[in-house]
Amino acid sequence: MLGKLSWDVIPFDQPLPMIASAVVALAILGVLAWVFLAGHFPYLWREWITSVDHKRIGVMYTLLALLMLLRGFSDAVMMRSQQALAFQAPGYLPPDHFNQVFSAHGTIMIFFGAMPFVIGLMNLVVPLQLGVRDVAFPTLNSVSFWLTATGALLVNISLVIGEFARTGWLPYPPLSETAYSPGVGVDYYLWAVQISGVGTLLTGINFVTTILKMRAPGMSYLRMSMFCWTSLAASLLIVAAFPILTATLAMLTLDRYFGFHFFTNEAGGNMLMFVNLIWAWGHPEVYILVLPAFGIFSEVISTFSSKPLFGYRSMVAATLFICIVSFMVWLHHFFTMGAGADVNAAFGIATSIIAVGTGVKIYNWMFTMYGGRIRFATPMLWSLGFMVTFVIGGMTGVLLAVPPADFLLHNSLFLVAHFHNVIIGGVLFGAFAGYTYWFPKAFGFRLHEGWGKLAFWLTLIGFYVTFVPLYAVGLLGMTRRMQHFDVSAWYPWVLAAGVGMLITTAGVVAQIVQLVVSIRQRAALRDATGDPWDGRSLEWATPSPPPVFNFAALPHVEGEEPYWSIKQRAREQNRLRDEPDYEPIEMPRNSPTGFICAFFATVMGFALIWHIWWMVALGALGALATFVVFAWRDIPEYVIPAAEVARIDRANRSARREALVTYTGPRP
Amino acid sequence: MSNADDRHAQRRDTDGLERYDIDTAPGDEYLGDTEVGSGLRGYVIGLGLATLLTIASFWLLGTNLIWAPGIPVALVVLAIAQMGVHLVFFLHITTGPDNTNNALALAFGVLIVVLVIGGSIWIMANLDHNLMPMNAIMNMNR
Repeated sequence: MLGKLSWDVIPFDQPLPMIASAVVALAILGVLAWVFLAGHFPYLWREWITSVDHKRIGVMYTLLALLMLLRGFSDAVMMRSQQALAFQAPGYLPPDHFNQVFSAHGTIMIFFGAMPFVIGLMNLVVPLQLGVRDVAFPTLNSVSFWLTATGALLVNISLVIGEFARTGWLPYPPLSETAYSPGVGVDYYLWAVQISGVGTLLTGINFVTTILKMRAPGMSYLRMSMFCWTSLAASLLIVAAFPILTATLAMLTLDRYFGFHFFTNEAGGNMLMFVNLIWAWGHPEVYILVLPAFGIFSEVISTFSSKPLFGYRSMVAATLFICIVSFMVWLHHFFTMGAGADVNAAFGIATSIIAVGTGVKIYNWMFTMYGGRIRFATPMLWSLGFMVTFVIGGMTGVLLAVPPADFLLHNSLFLVAHFHNVIIGGVLFGAFAGYTYWFPKAFGFRLHEGWGKLAFWLTLIGFYVTFVPLYAVGLLGMTRRMQHFDVSAWYPWVLAAGVGMLITTAGVVAQIVQLVVSIRQRAALRDATGDPWDGRSLEWATPSPPPVFNFAALPHVEGEEPYWSIKQRAREQNRLRDEPDYEPIEMPRNSPTGFICAFFATVMGFALIWHIWWMVALGALGALATFVVFAWRDIPEYVIPAAEVARIDRANRSARREALVTYTGPRP
Repeated sequence: MSNADDRHAQRRDTDGLERYDIDTAPGDEYLGDTEVGSGLRGYVIGLGLATLLTIASFWLLGTNLIWAPGIPVALVVLAIAQMGVHLVFFLHITTGPDNTNNALALAFGVLIVVLVIGGSIWIMANLDHNLMPMNAIMNMNR
């Protein structure tokens, strides 16, 4: 009846996960109880859970990402503290548990931390920058988000019910085959990643369509902001690469569930094919993450240098170059797998060449700052920290791209330090820059600058103190994923990395305090005009937070940096543009389709993990029925009357007029 | 969305024909003022060609028309022609200016497929490169 499920699967004998999950469960129950008792549920259901508004979905994505970053970070704290304690000692995490921790850390950070953060910012900003009212398929967008949330939920359920994979964040066979991983850990991984992967693929399709088909009048390709370009490139990579991940994991699933032999050692299987295919997805994946971050830095550096982006067209070319070449380098993740000099050299050279695209971007950002009036606000600090950190990570990457060097450094902590250097220094710093930069757009008030700067410095210093020792100890020969070690030469470096973790933890606390303090002081941090940073692209032409329809009248774009030219004309003539003719606006109705679909997907995923076949059928039928009901809907849109549009727009115009009158800066 | 109509703004090309400013999605067909018949004719031609190519590939096997070892090559050629027919007549991928995105998407897709499949074959064929050949191992054991 319940498949493999029984009371034995809950780890009552392990105090650590039980206490942790009990605390989390109590927190969730507390929040739920408060929501229901205080009567917030109807509001949450109407305005957020069923929302198909790209801005709301973006906020929910970001919230999910922040929660999962905390979860992944707690795994990181456990790993670093375990290693600091486990010199000639067992430490406090048994090997079985330690293996689950590093697997969960990688899986959560990439799939449920970095991806939702980047996609959340894309959701919030891309339609605004394109000057349109929503993405191409709003309800599909909601489905994407809730499927991602399903994946995150399944990974976290594994903490209490059963176990997580012990295989690392990419479950290489033969370890991940049933013979060596008979438990449900790998199944949790497979279904969590598959279900959220469907969501990501739908997002990719949605954004490619939106950017290619739905730009404001006059917004030609070469007038789009850099963030739209990098989002387009990342979405193209999602559409091209995620099917490879889905197919590869489906083959492993067939091996595990039906005794197929795709990746086994007998009956014609080849486990090395898994490694080959998973990295054919895995390398484009790192560019899916970092390209949007490059876009964020372009926006931030240009805004806070008060200058147009230097070399806009070369940035576009570099982005598309990276987009294509990212599909030509995947073998560098397994130089040591046995290929000969021809293959290794070809992929090594391709890997060094892809760094040229990023180099072009770094120089463009430096020339953007050169001669500019730079304001060192928090988003700009994250961007500067990125430029220094990412260049170091890039150079160790080019070093690892040399196959003979890679043979020595493969699987060492040097490698671990390298990819954290580029993912933290690139993706995470970019996400935090975007988070502080666009927070006022999403909520109508800025984040506290003091706490933001403190969080930046603590995170930056914490990062270096953690990972520079790991570079060193990697060169001394320490491999990754060690539960304990006996080499005394490594010990000081591992302790230093532990100290770095303490500093980083202080940075995380500062981020949380920043959010709390900013919410409490929101009246003082209010962004009245909708343009708190003297911005240049179209999202700053809307009020903060933007109304559901974004633009009262769609802007007509006449050049690059459309909002900057509108603003300059207003400053020159000392008056705003003429009021547009307000017309009623049709917007898509909210729909619970995404939430209900994801509910059934969760049921189905959980049942598949535990082999409860009747429940699998139930979940699949439920999801299909939800889709059919949605497809048969009668009224897809509602109308916002012209008077309401005019009221909202006039309120924003009066705030902007006031700002224009009191403006004291340079005028054209 | 209310503004959908202005994005379909017409323009007149140098050849005097009116075209629509944004390109069509695969499967989209703007019939406009032209009669339904011309659209239908395309599908019928496509169906005819596709059927012909399918029959040809089965028929080839039973004849001596092609040198026997060359038959796989002939089948590949017929299959690619079949793909072309589907793309042009059913998915409406053309070289027209309203079709740039679709042609680019197709090119990007083909490029990725060639890179991933070609690369995988190359890599997997090369994996035992650093191993000693089998007969050398046998000789060593003697």
